[in-house]
Amino acid sequence: MTVEFENYPEIKSYAKSVTEPKWFTDIRVKALESQPKLELPNFEKIRYHRWPIQLKEKLKKVSSNAELLDDLPIEDAKHLVVQLGQDTLQKSGLTTFEEQGVVICDWQEALEKHSGLVQKYFMQKAIKFDEDLLTAQHVANLTSGLFIYVPKNTVVKEPLTTYFVQDSTQKNDYVHHVILVVDSNSEFSYLENLMTVGSEKTTANIIVEVIAQADSHIKFASVDRLGANTTTYLNRRGYLERNSKIDWSMGMMNDGNIVGDFDSDLVGDGAHSEVKVVAISTGKQVQGIDTRVTNIGRHTIGHILQHGVILSRSTLTFNGIGHIIKGAKGADAQQESRVLMLSTKAKGDANPILLIDDNDVTAGHAASVGRVNQEQLYYLMSRGLPKKVAERLVIRGFLGPVLAAIPSKVIEEQLKVTIERKLVDGQKDE
Amino acid sequence: MSTLEIKDLHVSIEGKNILKGVNLTMKTGEIHAIMGPNGTGKSTLSEAIMGHPAYKVTQGEVLLNGENILGLPVDERARAGLFLAMQYPAEIPGVTNAEFIRGAINARRPEDDALSIRSFLKQLDETMSVLDMTEEMADRYLNEGFSGGEKKRNEILQLMMIKPKFAILDEIDSGLDIDALKVVSRGVNKMRGPEFGSLIITHYQRLLNYIVPDVVHVMMGGRIVKQGGPELAKRLEDEGYAGLRDELGLDIKLVDEDA
Ligand SMILES: Nc1ncnc2c1ncn2[C@@H]1O[C@H](COP(=O)(O)OP(=O)(O)O)[C@@H](O)[C@H]1O
Ligand SMILES: [Mg+2]
Repeated sequence: MTVEFENYPEIKSYAKSVTEPKWFTDIRVKALESQPKLELPNFEKIRYHRWPIQLKEKLKKVSSNAELLDDLPIEDAKHLVVQLGQDTLQKSGLTTFEEQGVVICDWQEALEKHSGLVQKYFMQKAIKFDEDLLTAQHVANLTSGLFIYVPKNTVVKEPLTTYFVQDSTQKNDYVHHVILVVDSNSEFSYLENLMTVGSEKTTANIIVEVIAQADSHIKFASVDRLGANTTTYLNRRGYLERNSKIDWSMGMMNDGNIVGDFDSDLVGDGAHSEVKVVAISTGKQVQGIDTRVTNIGRHTIGHILQHGVILSRSTLTFNGIGHIIKGAKGADAQQESRVLMLSTKAKGDANPILLIDDNDVTAGHAASVGRVNQEQLYYLMSRGLPKKVAERLVIRGFLGPVLAAIPSKVIEEQLKVTIERKLVDGQKDE
Repeated sequence: MSTLEIKDLHVSIEGKNILKGVNLTMKTGEIHAIMGPNGTGKSTLSEAIMGHPAYKVTQGEVLLNGENILGLPVDERARAGLFLAMQYPAEIPGVTNAEFIRGAINARRPEDDALSIRSFLKQLDETMSVLDMTEEMADRYLNEGFSGGEKKRNEILQLMMIKPKFAILDEIDSGLDIDALKVVSRGVNKMRGPEFGSLIITHYQRLLNYIVPDVVHVMMGGRIVKQGGPELAKRLEDEGYAGLRDELGLDIKLVDEDA
């Protein structure tokens, strides 16, 4: 099929302004053309269809005022990439990585210098560009991101930290793409921070593809703090080959409405995914989190553990989907989703969904939505702790099992700080 | 000196009237004991004073230095100087004993004058050794997986660290062997002084051999039916509650009527 750029002057002029390779512009156009026959994806009990989640702004190159970062809690990590909107503002401590052959490039640079490598993975394995309307809109409008490639047999000892700051001082869509490929027999540890600066009403569409090749091990952690006026589709997808492992640790500390679509495809035999999610919903926000692990290979292991807390009039939905495909002999799918309610006006939901198409497997689930234990609160308050402090302690105990299971102490500590901050802010509307 | 006055206190739980007019006055510097058969309302009295939301005060008042505290939430009563060592302390996972106790102490101090970690740890160490508690108890999660005896010691540890004006000890002796009982008593006796008063609730006289009270109150059927000195406790031990009940001509059924 030939692609007619002439019909899409916006794409044409944008492509020129950033000099992206032809194959990439082609796939943009295909994604655009596929949209009329695509629909929004459905997630059990997450009603987001009327949100302003679809991308509307025109594809364009914009830059941001670097001073906007000054007031943000950006840690001075040893190995760091900081992006604001479409601009990369900081890359530091990456030499040791580069010496090991690791590629870390922002999106435009990756398309320029590693076009073949990007083409091999971009929307090929973990996700297809025309999977649904949101993925197609993503590809057509993508303007920022990061590409990370870790070559074979490479153990990277220290973690890479990234900050992706959405610039909502301007009314632009934030369309961001991350590819993390860890080649065979390698290890990599990654911490991603999503944030917002500014308070314009905006839409974010973020896709993160994590590709774990045979015998690799990836520790993927994220702390998401997108702003109250940002409506987000956040898709993180793992593709796991033989005997690979991904440890996901995700803290959903956003203030706005968000659909989190977290999937792991255990394609190769013996692949293993551990997904830990903690979420806190406050104010009037809605966070819908759909976590799926699909066991395709034999002896694959998929575990989901998600705990969340809801305050005020907020909503939190946890779907846990364990899908064992026929032929996945010896597969194991386990999940636990729990929601703690602090307010009678908050809405919580924990839906375990097990789809099992093979007999020779093990699977289990636990789910609950409950209130704060009044005896615990009473006990803490009887020692003089104010109610809100007591509540935060009970919450910490509730989130403890997930936090304790996070493989990195540093990330566990960072998450605790973020949780405390989000709770203190959230309790102000109680 | 501080005073705690309970005046004509009526308390119900789940619509059932449990306390039917309790009167009791005490001052710091004094130790009072409340004895009574099981199910008579001793825990109800302590929970109502502390402010447990399930216990409804239907009449009467509780005055701390002349101020009625019944309108205050639990945490404010605590900061005003009340402490309740509970019969069944809650377990709080994820929160260590040490950080909890430090938080409780700092909740009583101005924000810019928090107790330093150093001096806190020093005090904690000293107090734990009075109570024969091992150091690791400080880092364990609050009451989680503690044995019955460990929980009781931990209540006394908090009492000694927080230093309230008035401490109600609800059956702090239950389930303790004689050695543990001595340790717990040692802790409470160390607190004795002009700025500390305690209301010790017990079913048995044994504890009162170690913590000798100034006044003994006997509670039956939701009221205080008799007061006396330490000899009253001894007499109850010998004669049982039934004897006193019959002497006073009370029409009360004892749950655990034994002799
Ligand atoms: N949470 C509760 N729900 C219902 N009844 C209760 C509750 N707590 C206590 N009671 C009842 O109140 C009465 C007094 O109990 P309590 O104060 O615990 O007695 P004591 O401490 O003297 O043994 C008992 O009849 C008991 O069954
Ligand atoms: Mg009792």
